Amino acid sequence: MNQDTWRIGNHEMSSRFFLGTGLFPSPFVQNEAIAVSGAEVLTFAIRRVNLDAVEDDSILQHVEPEAFQFLPNTSGARTADEAVRIARLARASGLSDWVKVEISASERTLLPDPIETLRATEILVKEGFTVLPYISDDPVICRKLEEAGAAAIMPGGAPIGTGLGILNPYNISLIVEEASVPVIVDAGLGTASDAALALELGASAVLMNTPVAKAKDPVGMALAMKLAIEAGRLTYLSGRVPKKQYASASSGLEAMVSRPSSPDVL
Amino acid sequence: MKDLILVMGGGIIGLSCALELSRRGVNVRLLETGRCGGQASGAAAGMLAPYSENVEAPDEFFMLCRESLSLYPAWQQLVRECSGNSFEYTPSGSLYVAYHEADLLGLQSRMNWQRTCGSSAVILQGDDLFEAEPGLSRKALAALWTPEESHIYAPDFVTALKSACLSSGVDIQEELGALDLAAWEDHIEVQAASGEIFTGDQLVVCTGAWAGELSGKLGMRIPVQPIRGQICAYTWDAEQTPLNHMVFSSQGYLVQKANGTLVCGASEDIAGFDTSVTDRGIRRLLQWNKNVVPALEQAEPFHRWAGLRPSTLDGRPLIGRVPQAERVVFAAGHYRNGILLSPVTAKLAANCVEGRPLQAWQHAFRPDRFGVAAKVLRS
Repeated sequence: MNQDTWRIGNHEMSSRFFLGTGLFPSPFVQNEAIAVSGAEVLTFAIRRVNLDAVEDDSILQHVEPEAFQFLPNTSGARTADEAVRIARLARASGLSDWVKVEISASERTLLPDPIETLRATEILVKEGFTVLPYISDDPVICRKLEEAGAAAIMPGGAPIGTGLGILNPYNISLIVEEASVPVIVDAGLGTASDAALALELGASAVLMNTPVAKAKDPVGMALAMKLAIEAGRLTYLSGRVPKKQYASASSGLEAMVSRPSSPDVL
Repeated sequence: MKDLILVMGGGIIGLSCALELSRRGVNVRLLETGRCGGQASGAAAGMLAPYSENVEAPDEFFMLCRESLSLYPAWQQLVRECSGNSFEYTPSGSLYVAYHEADLLGLQSRMNWQRTCGSSAVILQGDDLFEAEPGLSRKALAALWTPEESHIYAPDFVTALKSACLSSGVDIQEELGALDLAAWEDHIEVQAASGEIFTGDQLVVCTGAWAGELSGKLGMRIPVQPIRGQICAYTWDAEQTPLNHMVFSSQGYLVQKANGTLVCGASEDIAGFDTSVTDRGIRRLLQWNKNVVPALEQAEPFHRWAGLRPSTLDGRPLIGRVPQAERVVFAAGHYRNGILLSPVTAKLAANCVEGRPLQAWQHAFRPDRFGVAAKVLRS
């Protein structure tokens, strides 16, 4: 597994775990969780960051910037124009030229607005950003985002923060099958098996915040997720057996009926 | 003979537990390594702000905070009456200030759920906002105004609590040095640094950031870490535009006190038990606070200090009886909300001492919830 690296743009990674830095109970717990997760990419809301002095920000001050690729997100934006403005602010402050486009249509579900997301992606790609749009699990819009130049596609498993897991694994499979850029399952995951499933379906990575940060033991959960992601990835690479409708004995039916009655038959 | 309850720790939680227990007619002896209120309690800005401190969702921790806020009017009155002391308690309300248009979505959704949970918050913008808080930076786009929140002057309140304990018959022993829990099965024995042994029938552990010292001893892990908070204060006299509300932002808070000071907090530093004030920690405060109140650009803080917040692994306090050590009750790990949570913690801890069960939702605070095993997997 050591050689199983992957790329977004020119950035090579070995971890398949993107971790959000919000919601942790304390900076100590956050740093411990980041450390055990092995995450190489950290994500956070640009609107919460003190862009005048990133090194003094209430959350980012606890993180070594050289050690991570930052993925700032535009959460809170309701239109493409808002998202574009926020992304430009983040890049101007020197945070990163990666941006996760996150545009919500409703404050209740926080589901992404696909039309505004596509528009923001087009604009930001032209401006030279590495754009990772958060989007619903619709294969058609995912294809269009890729055509618009998205560096990776981030379909949600379920609405943000719900912990409902991957509600439509079929769609995630289709998105993975059709995409030629990495697919990162973002949002709605709740537990380790959800993360494993995402990787089993062929996703390149998962992005999580709530299921780790709000766990009773966020540090333990960060490790659990890391192991699940590795297990899911290894499962995908190793090829699961096909599903069958009826039983087939694991010792092999033919072996049982043709078992030799005496050693000398051998 | 009445039972004797030992309370370990003389911060706001220990003093509140001792007062509540003695009001219920129990003999209480409080043991403090240094001076009462000498750590986080005396350093706190005293904000009673369950809505501003819980912006995500109404979970058990929010319920605990809100219940404690609702206990405050009667509780602080009791402390006044028992002590004869006075202290500031100001129903100022709060503003949570947003600078980005993208913050409005979050403010809106926060307002929606909080208005179903006892808040009458509204979003103020434009002239309404600057009329409510004239000293606020014109960079502020909007603010969530929560009238229900208040603040208290923590150093005076803790002093009053101590007086209230003494006048209610609590025996307070200070300057004991390191305290060691020597026995907890048949009875409680706590040994002071001098060798003196204090015995009792039950123990209430209120040792804040030091609660983790008992980790492992009682058959469970107690993951409590100190997180240093650095605060500074400005002289804020009649010539300055007064700050009418507690003002929160994503970077910290500002609150004006009746003694003519403006308090600005607070850093969250990972620094072990070191309570030093650092240039970097204070500089951070000075860099963002002028974006909230521009008049601070010309001001210089006259006082800088630091305290240690007791932070648990899930951010929730440890409140309740220890199943493996039935004479021991925990009331510790209150992180950023010890002042706010002191009345409800005192009542729950006293209920536990009396043998009354916690309500189902309060099991979220069980002190044994972190178990023992998870660490083994990680080694």
